[in-house]
Amino acid sequence: MNHRVIEAAPPPERFARGWHCLGLADTYKDGKPHAVEAFGTKLVVFQGEGGGLSVLNGYCPHMGGDLTQGTVKGDAIACPFHDWRWGGDGKCAGIPYAKRVPRGARTLAWPTLERNQQLYVWNDPEGNPPPEGVTIPEIAGAGSPEWSNWTWNTMRVDGSHCREIVDNVVDMAHFFYIHYALPTYFKNVFEGHVATQYYEGVSRDDAYLGFVPGTENQKIAQRSEAAYHGPSYMIDYLWNEAEGTTVETVLINCHYPIGRNAFMLQWGVIVKKFPGMDDATADAMAAQVAEGVGLGFMQDVEIWKSKAPIDNPLLCDQDGPVYQLRRWYEQFYVDAAEVAPEMTDRFEFEIDTARAVQVWEQEVAANVEAGISYSMIPKSMRAG
Amino acid sequence: MRPVDCRACGVRVLVEKRSLPHTSVQWPTGAAAACAEFAPRVAAGRATALIPHCAALRASIEQAVRDGSLEVPADV
Ligand code: FES
Ligand SMILES: [Fe+2]
Repeated sequence: MNHRVIEAAPPPERFARGWHCLGLADTYKDGKPHAVEAFGTKLVVFQGEGGGLSVLNGYCPHMGGDLTQGTVKGDAIACPFHDWRWGGDGKCAGIPYAKRVPRGARTLAWPTLERNQQLYVWNDPEGNPPPEGVTIPEIAGAGSPEWSNWTWNTMRVDGSHCREIVDNVVDMAHFFYIHYALPTYFKNVFEGHVATQYYEGVSRDDAYLGFVPGTENQKIAQRSEAAYHGPSYMIDYLWNEAEGTTVETVLINCHYPIGRNAFMLQWGVIVKKFPGMDDATADAMAAQVAEGVGLGFMQDVEIWKSKAPIDNPLLCDQDGPVYQLRRWYEQFYVDAAEVAPEMTDRFEFEIDTARAVQVWEQEVAANVEAGISYSMIPKSMRAG
Repeated sequence: MRPVDCRACGVRVLVEKRSLPHTSVQWPTGAAAACAEFAPRVAAGRATALIPHCAALRASIEQAVRDGSLEVPADV
């Protein structure tokens, strides 16, 4: 008898080429060096007196001192071992006890971008700067008085390659089975370095998602436009409508690789204020959404912890385009010169959701009948 | 996948429909950058992946279904 055999190549040796978010920029602006374990090494992030944030290799090229334990002096980071100074551009900015700096003394500096109140670093195994047009778009609500402040959460995931979370982009069915959502419309577009998911759905009568403040059993219509801009940074614009009120949310779902089999998952939320809403209430609303998103990620992590990596998933017609997504994702793991047209050519895939919606509605009705109710958010955490 | 030509700009894409609501479209290299509907948004610096579809192409695909040049398997 023929049976399907799961295939899985080991995770890639290299780390994806692209912009990676390291979190909210303000967290790094306290005049101290910060350690970030990423890309199989340790980075030092610091703010020089010029105000800009810099990211350097965490270890000093002199004798390997740990720069994250150093001190910011002027516009440079000073090594705790022998006080060599390193500027944000990677150049040695001085050796107080030496007559002169060795010619060409330079450490690895990572290109940075501060935008949307967040800090991004550019990773490229080939060492090239980001090409024209490959950037992180501006988010209009970020920093706007009409929106809340960012929430920011992180979760370290060990034992999984970060491609697992990227698979979510096309995985319509898991939104029902893992996240208690009920997708009714689902479409993907991959093009260039961007992968988009268009999603519409409704809340379930057998589950309370908590994305909109209010009672447990109100109907919520959800719409989302989520796009990965490069390998690791997704901006998700969400509209949740209940009883004529729409909550507008921007959700960041991003990560950076720590090692070959570990990554830091991060998420941040801003919500648009209702007319007359004060800052504290808006921030509390964002926190409530972030809480729900966090619980959602915990549900994903539960699956990842025990699932097998799989390169040859067996798909049905109601599954999204997993293979085409992975073909798109592959572009970030090959040299720039090796990026094949099929990795970046436009591809669209719209799922026929009719059958799934019918079956899911029946399942929800049966749950309601049986008195089963799922809650993403423990009662104690619910606002209002 | 079957070729379908956009009646507005002539671009030839490959289309598969496993049912009426399902659509899979593979664009050839460079074609999206040449799409007249996408052009203003591209010029405004927006990534074309953030445009769900080209309406003219969608209409062309629907027309191909109607005239039978793009077959859709019967729903079972
Ligand atoms: S190791 Fe850094 S100054 Fe010597
Ligand atoms: Fe998920």
